Amino acid sequence: MGYYSYGLPPFVVVVIALYILLTGSGEAFNVGRFLEESSPYAWAATGIGLCIGLSVLGAGWGIFITGSSILGGGVRAPRISTKNLISIIFCEVVAIYGVIIGIVYSAKLGEFVPEAHLYTRENYFTGFALFWGGLTVGACNLLCGLCVGITGSTAALSDAADPNLFVKILVVEVFGSILGLFGLITGLLMVSQASDFSAASSLASPLVSVA
Amino acid sequence: MSLYPPYPPFFGFAGVASAMVLSTVGTLFGTAKAGIGIAGLGTFKPELIMKSLIPIVMSGIITVYGLIVSVLISSALTPTFYPLVAGFIHLAAGLACGFTGLTAGYTISVVGDSCMCAYVYESKVFASIVLILIFAEVLGLYELIMALIMNSKVMGLEVC
Repeated sequence: MGYYSYGLPPFVVVVIALYILLTGSGEAFNVGRFLEESSPYAWAATGIGLCIGLSVLGAGWGIFITGSSILGGGVRAPRISTKNLISIIFCEVVAIYGVIIGIVYSAKLGEFVPEAHLYTRENYFTGFALFWGGLTVGACNLLCGLCVGITGSTAALSDAADPNLFVKILVVEVFGSILGLFGLITGLLMVSQASDFSAASSLASPLVSVA
Repeated sequence: MSLYPPYPPFFGFAGVASAMVLSTVGTLFGTAKAGIGIAGLGTFKPELIMKSLIPIVMSGIITVYGLIVSVLISSALTPTFYPLVAGFIHLAAGLACGFTGLTAGYTISVVGDSCMCAYVYESKVFASIVLILIFAEVLGLYELIMALIMNSKVMGLEVC
C-alpha cells in the first residue's frame, strides 16, 4: 500500500512534466519567468507569515517539552516547579523574537502600490528579502525553541535528581537560546538594504512592455 | 530575456537562509544530545560537568560559522548590479556552508553523548574526547573556508 500512496503522486507529476517537455512546451518550466511574474507582495507576506508562525511553533513545542518534564518530575520533587519556570521563559522569548521581526518586516510593506507600478528592481529585492528573511528567522526560532525545550527538560529532571545540578545544566540552555538571537541578527541584516515598497514613476509590469 | 534580470537576489537570499538555518540544525543536534549526556554525567559525578561543556561550546561555534557566512553573503546583495552568476555562487556558498555545518553538528552530538558515558567511568579518556571533538569541529571549519572561497569569486565579477 505504501507504493500507491507514496509513489503514485510523484509518478503522475513526472509523467505530466515529461508530456509538457516533450511536446514542445518546455518553455513552461521557466523559473525566471515565474520569479518575474509573481508579485513581490506575495513573497513578502509569505515571509512575514512564516516568520511569526514558525517562531511561535518553536516556542510552543519547547514549552510543552519542558512543561511535561517539569510536571512529571514535580510529582516526586515538588520543589523544582517554581525554579524551572525559567526554562519556559527562555522558550517564550523565542516567540517574542518572531513578533519583533514580524513587526519590523511589516513596516517595510509601506503604502499600497498599484499593480502597474509595482515591478521594479527594488521591489523585487524587498519581496525576496522579506521572504527569505522571514523563513530564516522563523526556522532559526523553531530550532532554538526545540533546543531550549529539550535542554530545559533535561535540566528539570536533573534538578529533581540533585538540586545542585540545575544551575550547571542551565548553562547548556543559555547556549541553546543564542540560536534564536543569531537568527534575529541575520533577519535584520538581510532586510537592512531593502527599501520599502514604492511605486515606479512609469509603467513597470512584467506582462506589459512599453515600446 | 535581459542580461540583468531582476530575480537573482532570490537565489542570493536563499544562500543566506540555508547557511544560517542548516548550521542551526547542526547546533540543535549538538546542544540537545550532548546536553542530555552531560546531565547523565552530572548525576553521578557533578565535579566533571564544567570540563564536559566542551561539546556544547563547539556546537555553538558551528552556528557562528553559519552566521559569518550569512553576514558576508548578505552584505554583497544589492538591488542594482547583481548578475545571475553572483546569485548562483552565493546560493552554492550558502548550501555548502549549511550542509557541512549540519553534518559537523550531528557528529559533535553523537560523539559528545557517547563520550560523556565513557567519561563517567574513566577520566583518563578526556584527552581523546577533546581530540575527537576537534576533528568534528574542523568539519565545520571547512564550511567556512569553502564559503569564503566561493564568495571571493563574486567580488571579482565586473560589468560586461
